[in-house]
Amino acid sequence: MTTHTETTTTVEYAPERPARLEWAKHAPEVYKAMVRLETAARKGLDHTLYELVKIRASQINHCAFCIDMHTKDALAAGESVERIVQLSAWDESRHFYTAKEIAALELTEAVTVLTDGFVPDEVYDNAAKHFEEAELAQVIAAITVINAWNRFGVTCRMAPGHYEPGQYK
Amino acid sequence: MTTRTRLLDPAVGRALSAVSATAKKGLGDPALAELVVIRASQLNHCAFCLDMHLALAREYGVSERQLDLLAAWEEAEDVFDERERAALALTEAVTVLTGGTSQAFGSGGGFVPDEVYERAAKHFDETRLAHLIGLVVAINNWNRVMVSRRIPPGGHTP
Repeated sequence: MTTHTETTTTVEYAPERPARLEWAKHAPEVYKAMVRLETAARKGLDHTLYELVKIRASQINHCAFCIDMHTKDALAAGESVERIVQLSAWDESRHFYTAKEIAALELTEAVTVLTDGFVPDEVYDNAAKHFEEAELAQVIAAITVINAWNRFGVTCRMAPGHYEPGQYK
Repeated sequence: MTTRTRLLDPAVGRALSAVSATAKKGLGDPALAELVVIRASQLNHCAFCLDMHLALAREYGVSERQLDLLAAWEEAEDVFDERERAALALTEAVTVLTGGTSQAFGSGGGFVPDEVYERAAKHFDETRLAHLIGLVVAINNWNRVMVSRRIPPGGHTP
């Protein structure tokens, strides 16, 4: 991962930084509970939508490990490169996404950026128009769980680039 | 301000509780755990969680002076010891991952700064640190499911 060979030149990349902490090894009971949470939160949700939510939250939280994992999982599941690339600017590329996906992405951003203040009524109400109540509760749970993984990933500096699609399934 | 929904899949609720309980147990310091949890709930503006954990903190004997000054702990050096301050700095960094305009993080933010992580690593061994991080994650989880569904404060009985 440190070099990239062009036809004539070799580019040196910055070295990979080591992880700070193997948190799952030091807190195995917490990790097990997180895995249970992940399983419970994805239940009943459309897989395509789920990966979009995961990628968008990971972008906002700057979690390199999670971006690596979920873009690879999405691609392996048949998601288009275009929709993944456009995701960080989805508001300007709405025609790449369904109205339901957009509602979920808006909710993802609001629930992820809580420190800037609450979840606006218009965002929640629009999501509630596209998801029935139980499904919406699952979307909220899914957004919560990826936020949790993002926090572990960033804080412990888990290194991106090594994930193989479906590795943890 | 009415509750939006009370729905939460029971399996999700149980797993959220398990993340919290295992992290809190592994940290092994209930009073510090409440300071961490309350500070994150302040940053995430979660009324339900603040109400619940302020009550719990009082049960654990956290002083009124600490609770009063928690939102400004950096300016209250005599009220929080170095270990508490290291834990609170980590709490803020792990909570405000998005950076941006949060008053807690100035205009920068994003990632968890080396100095913040290393300061915590000086006061907590790897096992305690992993559980401290787990606890910050756990309360961030609850903050999200409570604020999103607009669960009002007051439902908790100690």
